[in-house]
Amino acid sequence: MWRRVLAWGAAALVGVGLGVASAWAALEFGRASFMERYGAWTHSRAAGSVGADPYTRAVIAREGLLALSAREALYFNLAEDSQGRPLSEACVYELSGPPLETRWWSVTLYARDHFLAQNGDHAAAIDATRIRYDGDGRWRARVAPVRGEAAHWLSSRNTHSGFSLTLRVYNPRREFRASAESLPVLTTLNCAGAAP
Amino acid sequence: MSGWSKYVWAALAIAVLSHLALINAVPNVLTGVAISRLGEAGVNQWHVAPRVTEASRTIVRPAPDFAYSVCAYDLARGPLRLRVADWDQYWSLSLYGANSDNFFVLDDREVRGDAEIILVRQGRAAPDHAEQVVQSPSSKGIALIRRLAPTLEAYNAAARAAADDVCAPFTNS
Repeated sequence: MWRRVLAWGAAALVGVGLGVASAWAALEFGRASFMERYGAWTHSRAAGSVGADPYTRAVIAREGLLALSAREALYFNLAEDSQGRPLSEACVYELSGPPLETRWWSVTLYARDHFLAQNGDHAAAIDATRIRYDGDGRWRARVAPVRGEAAHWLSSRNTHSGFSLTLRVYNPRREFRASAESLPVLTTLNCAGAAP
Repeated sequence: MSGWSKYVWAALAIAVLSHLALINAVPNVLTGVAISRLGEAGVNQWHVAPRVTEASRTIVRPAPDFAYSVCAYDLARGPLRLRVADWDQYWSLSLYGANSDNFFVLDDREVRGDAEIILVRQGRAAPDHAEQVVQSPSSKGIALIRRLAPTLEAYNAAARAAADDVCAPFTNS
């Protein structure tokens, strides 16, 4: 009798444990499978939508609660460089892009906890209202612990456990097409810790 | 079914059910926490959020370029009137249900001047003479106004404009 009760109890415990562990793993490691990919950027067109599947809804609730639906804004996230390595404060990057076919856009740097990094330098975001384009028609921003001579800077100064970038595209025009070519490109300049 | 197999199948069935229950619960739990936090200073009224800085820790991935006003709403006692005072750059009013879905958005492309909606619980009758009625899929939820304000000066102007926003019980007067 007691042996049977213990067996059922153990089965229930193991079942709940497996369920919790697999749900956590799906949200932590499997989120890429619920996202579209453009170069190193990931994007979910279902973000915020009433038609989102349960996994997308759960991922967005964890990492982007109160996101707008795609009717209003598109969100693209970048957490890895072109080689698939997590973004690191030990590296110096250049983010560059062409004009985007949208009413307004911004790029914001977030620490691993999904909040603004505690850098104390007011360099968490760049946006379309303040960006300057170079002669070749592209804008460029430095993503690094220090600004150097850069016109635009996203500070990774105190992101000790990695960081990510979010590109917000508000009221995209009909001509807007997300692609690896149309979205900003992140180039790793060096990872020696010293700015070039 | 004999021996240990019935326990193995039971464990697998419980694993699938608890997995699905947890995935479905995450958005509701996180939105519930957000409603509680945002409603601490009072529900059914706008609160102008301080300018987003690295000290902002209420909602994940805040955008420092916006001035946010938030109203944690509860329709248990009837409809609400939501009014957005005009802003000369991008603005939007977005509504989120208890499961985190963004079920309604209105922005300055669709409205000239101030905007107003009446928010009612889905399935309940809309008030007489109400013009733009929006049905909320849940009693509780979050209304959010975003005003584009990338600089401190713009944020201060947006905060002044937000003083004329309304999130309040609907009355026929």
